[in-house]
Amino acid sequence: MPDPEVATTKVRFDLNGSVAAVDAPIGQPLLTTLREGLGIRSARGTCGVGVCGTCTVLVDGRAASACLLMTQQVDGREVVTSEGLVGDHGELDEVQDAFLGANAFQCSFCIPAMVLTVRAHLDEHPDADAEDVREALAGNLCRCGSYPEILAAVDELVAARAADDVAARAADDAAVDREDPR
Amino acid sequence: MPVASWLEPTSLDQACDLLADDEFESTALAGGTAVSLMLKMGFLDPERLVSLARLPGLDQIDVGDDHVDIGAAVSLSQVAQHATLRACLPSLATACASVGNVRVRNIATLGGNLAEADYASDPPAVLVSLGAVCVIRGPSGERRAGVEDVVVGHYTTSLEPGELITSVRIPTPPGRSATYLKYLTRSSEDRPCIGVAARVDRAEARPDASVTGLDVVVGAVAGTPQRVAEATEAEVGRPLDRAAADRLATAYAEAIDPIDDARGSSWYRTQMIEVFVRRAVIELSDGPGRGGTA
Ligand SMILES: Cc1cc2nc3c(=O)[nH]c(=O)nc-3n(C[C@H](O)[C@H](O)[C@H](O)COP(=O)(O)OP(=O)(O)OC[C@H]3O[C@@H](n4cnc5c(N)ncnc54)[C@H](O)[C@@H]3O)c2cc1C
Ligand code: FES
Ligand code: FES
Repeated sequence: MPDPEVATTKVRFDLNGSVAAVDAPIGQPLLTTLREGLGIRSARGTCGVGVCGTCTVLVDGRAASACLLMTQQVDGREVVTSEGLVGDHGELDEVQDAFLGANAFQCSFCIPAMVLTVRAHLDEHPDADAEDVREALAGNLCRCGSYPEILAAVDELVAARAADDVAARAADDAAVDREDPR
Repeated sequence: MPVASWLEPTSLDQACDLLADDEFESTALAGGTAVSLMLKMGFLDPERLVSLARLPGLDQIDVGDDHVDIGAAVSLSQVAQHATLRACLPSLATACASVGNVRVRNIATLGGNLAEADYASDPPAVLVSLGAVCVIRGPSGERRAGVEDVVVGHYTTSLEPGELITSVRIPTPPGRSATYLKYLTRSSEDRPCIGVAARVDRAEARPDASVTGLDVVVGAVAGTPQRVAEATEAEVGRPLDRAAADRLATAYAEAIDPIDDARGSSWYRTQMIEVFVRRAVIELSDGPGRGGTA
């Protein structure tokens, strides 16, 4: 039962591509709204003060701590959780694939947040090198200490993307050569 | 008491009036990274929250010929990543890039960082060293005040009820170079044990040109950013060399009486003030390969 003493506001936002509409108590952390009202399990509360990163979500494409955001702050905005990275037919995002490929997890509690942080960083900085991505991950803690595997996943992903770029550029050049034989 | 209302004014006048109305206890909220924590810890118990998110114009960055205006709602990430700001305000971009973690930087605003007036924040010391001025809007109009006159004590500003910082104006004269050194004692995403912001102005944009202005400001050691004006003023017109760095380091370590906290004891901070003031000044000094007008 909602507490009649608690004032709420209507908040509408895009959650993983669908409309979410909730009556949220004023100031209620987005994390609570996602987990208790909207069935999201990948954003997880641990420290509650912005430090550990397990509650990471993307707001308009940028990583944020859902424990520090009030639900009202995302009204009209786009929120993505790790669930939202999966395609319509269950296809995993390249970052999710890279983590799986490198066995980059133990209990996996922290992993959805790590994946989102990497995703956001690569979207904002498509040419980021592995060092940049590591830097972005500095604020995501892993209680199991899976850091070596997590960083290995990042290294492999960044290397694979660079190789794809080189291949794509070579293919472009070849196409240009075919059109315009010099 | 739970918060009774959430307001989203769409004009500055409206926002200032709402905040000035002391019948209700109102708290402004920009990124909310500090307000959220204060609510959770029970340090704040406002009747209404006034979100600044829909105010027009607060998210602008304007680069002028001899100054830059940064809107109060510009995020720390935006400052850290803005190519022009990185070139013309490198110490500020460095300080913003060093704040907490990427999630905090993405949401936290420059205005909120100043208005929080936390003694262990990074940007305030840098802004003071650069002579930055806050543009402040209140129920009775606009005023300007240097950052050192806005951040006036532990979690205390000189802002009156209903007053909001709308932007920060930072001078960018030719011949200026500046640096920020953040010294961490716990983890890479922590607030600083100490932070040293140094800025030098030269008659010409050459490292060997004579020094026309100098400032060194130490953050996280007291309620407000600290400077030792006699020491910096004494170096104007002289070569900024290793000897000057030593003199400044000693003067700062002697003059500042640092606080104790979990990031370092007062004694330890004094030692670190000496080390990091010296390093910051050496970075801006005249020696070969040093002090480029970054
Ligand atoms: C995990 C974590 C790590 C952090 N690490 C660092 C660090 O290393 N270095 C550092 O410097 N800081 C650090 N911080 C603090 C962070 O920088 C501040 O919380 C943030 O800058 C505040 O900005 P905001 O927009 O979120 O402010 P809000 O939380 O919205 O507001 C903060 C205060 O300012 C007032 N306010 C907001 N905007 C205005 C305005 N325009 N005019 C007048 N008053 C206003 C509010 O009423 C409130 O009192 C950290 C914070 C967290 C959570
Ligand atoms: S629970 Fe949000 S950062 Fe730790
Ligand atoms: S894998 Fe267990 S917390 Fe990271």
